[in-house]
Amino acid sequence: MSTAMSQSYPNIWLKLKRSPVMDITKFLMVVAVLIWVMARGTQQLGYNWQWYQVPKYIFQFQDGEFAFGPLLFGLAVTFRITAWGLLLSMTIGLVTALLRLSNSFLARIVARGYLELIRNTPLLVQIFFLYFVLAPIFGFSRFFAGVLALSLFEGAYVSEIFRAGIVSIHKGQWEASHSLGLSIFDTYRCIILPQAIRRILPPLTSQAISLIKDSALVSTIAIYDLTMEGRVVIAETFLTFEIWFTVAFMYLIITITLSIVVNTLENRFRIQT
Amino acid sequence: MQDKELGDYIVTVEKIGKTFPNGVCALRDFSTRIRRSEVVVIIGPSGSGKSTFLRCLNGLEEIDSGSILIDGTPLDENKKNRLEIRKEVGMVFQSFNLFPHKTVLENITLAPGLVRKKGKDEARKMAMDLLMKVNIPEKADSYPSQLSGGQQQRVAIARALAMHPKVMMFDEATSALDPEMIGEVLDVMKNLAREGMTMIVVTHEMGFAREVSDRVIFMEDGCIVEEGTAAHFFSNPQKERTKLFLSQIL
Repeated sequence: MSTAMSQSYPNIWLKLKRSPVMDITKFLMVVAVLIWVMARGTQQLGYNWQWYQVPKYIFQFQDGEFAFGPLLFGLAVTFRITAWGLLLSMTIGLVTALLRLSNSFLARIVARGYLELIRNTPLLVQIFFLYFVLAPIFGFSRFFAGVLALSLFEGAYVSEIFRAGIVSIHKGQWEASHSLGLSIFDTYRCIILPQAIRRILPPLTSQAISLIKDSALVSTIAIYDLTMEGRVVIAETFLTFEIWFTVAFMYLIITITLSIVVNTLENRFRIQT
Repeated sequence: MQDKELGDYIVTVEKIGKTFPNGVCALRDFSTRIRRSEVVVIIGPSGSGKSTFLRCLNGLEEIDSGSILIDGTPLDENKKNRLEIRKEVGMVFQSFNLFPHKTVLENITLAPGLVRKKGKDEARKMAMDLLMKVNIPEKADSYPSQLSGGQQQRVAIARALAMHPKVMMFDEATSALDPEMIGEVLDVMKNLAREGMTMIVVTHEMGFAREVSDRVIFMEDGCIVEEGTAAHFFSNPQKERTKLFLSQIL
């Protein structure tokens, strides 16, 4: 791609080809084709689209006051589960990574054991196990079972991401820290983790998004999250297509918001170069 | 340097041995004693054990046999002893190893604050004094990536000095620098020597050795081949291996 070659093209055409306008146009065209394919498909099914019915299940105005509809209630529950899940899974992940990297043989075995057990069994099975087996034994609630299952599951993957980040820090940082007399705790806290976390924000974000989506599975133990409320509304109204599109869109809003927040954080805490 | 008062023995190394897991023997029955304020330069071919020796002194590498005594504190399993030694022995690395996410000032004040529990203002003032000493006070709020190699290494020296160590070790401190910047770092090291710091310097800079060292040790295969004053070394080396090595680098 030499400058000599590009100068033989008119400037405006090149600018247009590479501009965001072109990308957005292409994207919209693809979306339009997909919508057309869907419309044709559902026409053949004889499905009667009733989009106008949907808003009342999201929110309503009763006596002039704003009231949550079932879908918004479900969204609130999903928020709660996801917030706790994120907090717990990040904590479990960091602790497990540190255990795997510690000098203690016992710590390494425990961490490795947890990791292999959780990564090699399906999340749905873990949710059922926690709710049907452990919850009656230890007496915790269905909400706790759901959050715990989610956190333990995602925590295992988060721990590998943390470990990768920590291990990627140049050995010289450890050696300099050691030579200055810093304790291992201070080394992790001031030197290693601040650098490691900046590096692993992209895969951590992916994992957080996974957690948000996986939270839909707690609907199987009758936690009234967004997915469960969606199923209930469909059971009553048979607005199958419309409601699932709406629910999917609402999950999309959550995950995209998270992505935007993390991107902003990434830019703010970027290490100057 | 002839007319300097050398103190008592501050570093005593008795017959230390170190073999790496891959079978390479880096140190064989290595013994030496270093006095306070002495400047010892260690030269030798790569793989001779020079860096390993330095790294054993502050615990970065574990010795397989022998003993190390630093200012009366033995380097053994006792955690308090190890910490004491890490505080009293400063090290400057070939690859600087500055903390990239912290400013120059933060790099220097971090350890004194956390390890020697110095207050923020006290640490800051000390850091600025050290930056003056290494001639870059204006870079206090810059990040390491914004500095040249020579400036980074000088910050690394200031950072090590901030802990007020009794011994300073330099592991090929100028080997990764462009030639124009070697001089500024060597100047800092020479000043440090003149001020009476005990220094153990692994280097290929013979000019430095000639100018400020009290003793030069030539190592090969984990052993001391020859040692003596700089004058003796460069004008009248005894062993054949020493002569061969010197002919290659001078």
